[in-house]
Amino acid sequence: MEPLKVVVSGPVGAGKSTLIRTLSETEIVDTDALTSEAIGKELTTVAMDYGTLTLEDQLLYLFGTPGQERFDFMWDVLTEGALGMVLLVRGDRPEDFPQARRQLDYLLSQQPVPYVVGVTRQDQPPVWGPEEVALYLGQPAERVVGLNATEPTSAVQPLVRLLELMLQEGAA
Amino acid sequence: MTKQEQLQQILRELKQALPELRSVVVASTDGLPIVHDSADAPRVAAMAATALGLGKRISQTTELGSLEETIVRGREGYFVVYAAGDKGVLALAAPSGANLGLIHLEARDFATRLAQVL
Repeated sequence: MEPLKVVVSGPVGAGKSTLIRTLSETEIVDTDALTSEAIGKELTTVAMDYGTLTLEDQLLYLFGTPGQERFDFMWDVLTEGALGMVLLVRGDRPEDFPQARRQLDYLLSQQPVPYVVGVTRQDQPPVWGPEEVALYLGQPAERVVGLNATEPTSAVQPLVRLLELMLQEGAA
Repeated sequence: MTKQEQLQQILRELKQALPELRSVVVASTDGLPIVHDSADAPRVAAMAATALGLGKRISQTTELGSLEETIVRGREGYFVVYAAGDKGVLALAAPSGANLGLIHLEARDFATRLAQVL
């Protein structure tokens, strides 16, 4: 099977770098810089994250984007040739949902590929569940998955769902 | 002098030392413009931070030692990005005939001075 390039995107602090760190079976590439804004963390991705993962004999190349919209030029660079996309959003920060929706619309307009929305921080209530976020974003329920990006068995769920959807769409 | 005035002063001196520069942008390592003379500063600042961040990582992964600078060379000129300490980025645009050796020499000095203020 050909390796599959998957882009992991979403607003700042959604857990993109954490997800790739949690899942990668090879040494990751990260590009963290000190933050100068109050975004609730000390480091932020300025170029990309990269990791690899094998799922049911399928090799996945995971490319993480920066979260801030000022780095949107990297979204274009990294989505080039992508065959799938995972858009993460923090379930405990509904104020991020509009940006998540904008970003999803933009990325899919550039690269119409199979995608899954991952709602992070499911282990830290109060938090919006995947069904609620699916309603908010106007997405079908099967495209929205809840997860905790720090926990391997949970972090892998959006990618498992992505592969299932790709198989269904390929068969259809 | 306020921090901003000191940075403006360093920017002026840099442009005096290297009059051939087309533009100069000083940004934070997370891509926000701090002082500059560029109309397109927000975008250039973000790209400079990306170029520096990726340059550092490439340098580390391919065992080149610590990063000196990232250079983009086009047919019409250069875009060069230096680290200014842990928090700052110094980005310069210069025409293709520019003396790159001299630019490096001056820019590294100025990057050190910027780092002390930042």
